[in-house]
Amino acid sequence: MSAVEIVLSVVKVLIMLLFFLNMAALCTWADRRQGAMVQDRVGPNRAVVHLPNMLARGIVLLPPALFGVLAIFSSLGALAGRAAAERFTVNVQLAILVGWFSLLVLCAKVRSGGAINKAEEMFADVDPRSFFFAGLGVHALGLVAGRLVPPASMPLAAQVSGFVLGGVFLIVALYATSRVPDGPIPLRLAGTLHAIADSIKMIWKEDFIPKNADRILHGLAPMLAVFSAIAVMAVVPFGPDLCFTDGNRNGTFDFSDLGNLVATVPASGACNGFLVKMQIIDLNVGILYIFGIAGTGIIGAAIAGWASDNKFALLGGLRASSQMVSYEVAMGLSLVGLFLVYGSVRMSDMAVWQGANAWGVFVQPLGFILFLTALCAETKRVPFDQPEGESEIVAGYFLEYSGFKWGMFMTGEYIELAFSSALLVALFFGGYSLPFLHADGITIAFGDTMLFQYKMTHLAVSIISALAFFGKTIFVTWVQIFFRWTLPRFRYDQLMKLGWTKLLPLAIANMMVTGVVVLALRNAGPAADSWLKLLADITQGFVAVATLAGFVALVVGLLEPVERKKFLASSAARFAAAMGGVKPEPQQA
Amino acid sequence: MPKRTPSNPWTKPAGKPIEGKAIPRPRRTAEVQAYLPEFLRGMAITMRHFFKNTKEMMLGQKPDPVLEALNEGVTTICYPEEKRPYPERFRGLHRLTLRDDGSPRCVACLCCSTACPAQCIHIEAGEYAEGDKRRGYERYPKTFVIDELRCIFCGFCVEACPCDAIRMDTGIHATPYDSREQFIYRKDLLMEFTGRDGSRTSANPRHEPGDPTHPGLSREQMDH
Ligand code: SF4
Ligand code: SF4
Repeated sequence: MSAVEIVLSVVKVLIMLLFFLNMAALCTWADRRQGAMVQDRVGPNRAVVHLPNMLARGIVLLPPALFGVLAIFSSLGALAGRAAAERFTVNVQLAILVGWFSLLVLCAKVRSGGAINKAEEMFADVDPRSFFFAGLGVHALGLVAGRLVPPASMPLAAQVSGFVLGGVFLIVALYATSRVPDGPIPLRLAGTLHAIADSIKMIWKEDFIPKNADRILHGLAPMLAVFSAIAVMAVVPFGPDLCFTDGNRNGTFDFSDLGNLVATVPASGACNGFLVKMQIIDLNVGILYIFGIAGTGIIGAAIAGWASDNKFALLGGLRASSQMVSYEVAMGLSLVGLFLVYGSVRMSDMAVWQGANAWGVFVQPLGFILFLTALCAETKRVPFDQPEGESEIVAGYFLEYSGFKWGMFMTGEYIELAFSSALLVALFFGGYSLPFLHADGITIAFGDTMLFQYKMTHLAVSIISALAFFGKTIFVTWVQIFFRWTLPRFRYDQLMKLGWTKLLPLAIANMMVTGVVVLALRNAGPAADSWLKLLADITQGFVAVATLAGFVALVVGLLEPVERKKFLASSAARFAAAMGGVKPEPQQA
Repeated sequence: MPKRTPSNPWTKPAGKPIEGKAIPRPRRTAEVQAYLPEFLRGMAITMRHFFKNTKEMMLGQKPDPVLEALNEGVTTICYPEEKRPYPERFRGLHRLTLRDDGSPRCVACLCCSTACPAQCIHIEAGEYAEGDKRRGYERYPKTFVIDELRCIFCGFCVEACPCDAIRMDTGIHATPYDSREQFIYRKDLLMEFTGRDGSRTSANPRHEPGDPTHPGLSREQMDH
């Protein structure tokens, strides 16, 4: 292993570690905040830092101003060919995005806090949806404009658009700074600071160990719990392979080659330089490694329950271990069908297969449901949180933990939650692949009929794919958190029954049926293959359309103003109304 | 033959079925048993609430519940930044009141530690030095320790004290610490605290031995 490979590995480990640690902190926040928003009550996320005014202004001013200056400076050099076109598109789209989004934020500010000058008063009555629609329209116009620019003047257009983008950033920065109110600014970041406050508190808290507890095992258990949660990250691919050329032609991959990312790769993704995988390690046992390591998570819970010298903790530990052992079986078997389809247990092969064909959730819908259920049970979250069951055994296996050891259990649990989402994405939601995004750009094709093609550079495709992976993971985590606010806890016998008498037989049946179908299709000949390819493309198209439609519907729905009608609810209120009185609030007596 | 248990009027009469409203069993249709449709319906409901509330908050049509809680007149207060006014007779942490010369008023009579139901006061009495005008007349606490973690804030110690030497009028409530040792309050710390009026002395001064106004015996009057 050369030095550059070691450095790259460290970088990859850091990327994964930081992502999942941050996700753990964000999940603790989102868990509470989503509950608060579902039930329309005050959430607990109230930590606040009072920033001095100048600092607040600096924070508002500097990042966008920096981006602006960067955009201007990076446009000073001339670009050529496809890079110039891509730069132009990115610049224009970014400028439009920043533009309509800032107007939207300004509109919300005016609506909630009032206008501060004449120009702003115009915003007070504007329907916020119109900004979004106008923004979308301008986005489309920008794309069309990109096509209209003749290739000869593209470098100039890229430069000009860079200056415009910088200008937009600078204007936004200056105006936002001028709108920062006087006096110290309470910084809450929608409550995300609370996670930091909590962790600081946990570090300083007394680490209480019961008198008869096994001190060594008591200390070891949280480490084991976190270890298994962190170690599983190693095999999940978070982006497509990067391809570098041998710049100095010495035949080895060294640091100077890191700058030589190839400009484009063919659609097959073939690379005749050095491959760098965006994956910490590409084990050929792939998913089996995950099962193996995730299985050791039980040890942490079981040891914690045993070492605490507390009956509730012991019960929790027992429940955790029996539940995880039972569901491990169903979890493994529910994926066998998927392995048959993918023809591999290597994680990177799975991502490639899904990108080239259809997402796993379409080829194995039953397997997906079974796996999701088993995964929820593995992460010990509602509705399978018997090991913690607050109403029965207080907090279960980590009952006797406090301070940072407790925090480690919690971190481990939330990392597991985020990681389980990453696993779902990697196995069932296409990994880092996006519909119609191939290694050489966007190609919309159904079967053999090509509809649209847009070439992109290797760098752009890689960045978009990696972002897609992390974005999908965040989205799936968000959905998983909703399970907690929707589902009640199962009884323990129901849980065991579900695992052994429903999930397990279904998983086995799924496996057999898949095996038969896969064999039949393998021997069905080329006609069936082309039909399958068309079906796969249709699912890709479905995903693309559904995602776009869902996004637009979401934004439009969120921006649609709510008109609140005052109504009289109580009989006392109706009585008062009949007497000619008016009550401002229905609740008023 | 086993003896029949006598009927308990509070539960059900022996041999009779329980009277009451019959609650219909939930229907076990395939849809309910499959769980997934109901699960999706439930998710739809929670998501709808989530988006509705988020949206009204984002558009400024409804205050952010967290920020709203900071407004005047809302029951929830932002605790460490603002505190509720405590009632006049709020029993906070203890303090030991001082005499004018700065020594504790406590005479180590152990009344408070005897009265304490939580047994969290520990006092070691000491004699004043030879020649001190209080020697033989009263003692002083060599150590005076209260375990504030065990204290149940009943105020019995204050009631029991004949000298008004221990009071709970500091207005401070138990502070969170990061270890148990820190909840052990010793004499010097207890003497540091002031009442809510800021004084270290008692609000209820009594006559010191030796004062002309002291109704009891003084040392001089003792030799007869
Ligand atoms: S308040 Fe009650 S429990 Fe506390 S020290 Fe005084 S007598 Fe004991
Ligand atoms: S504080 Fe009061 S009751 Fe307690 S020992 Fe001192 S004088 Fe006696």
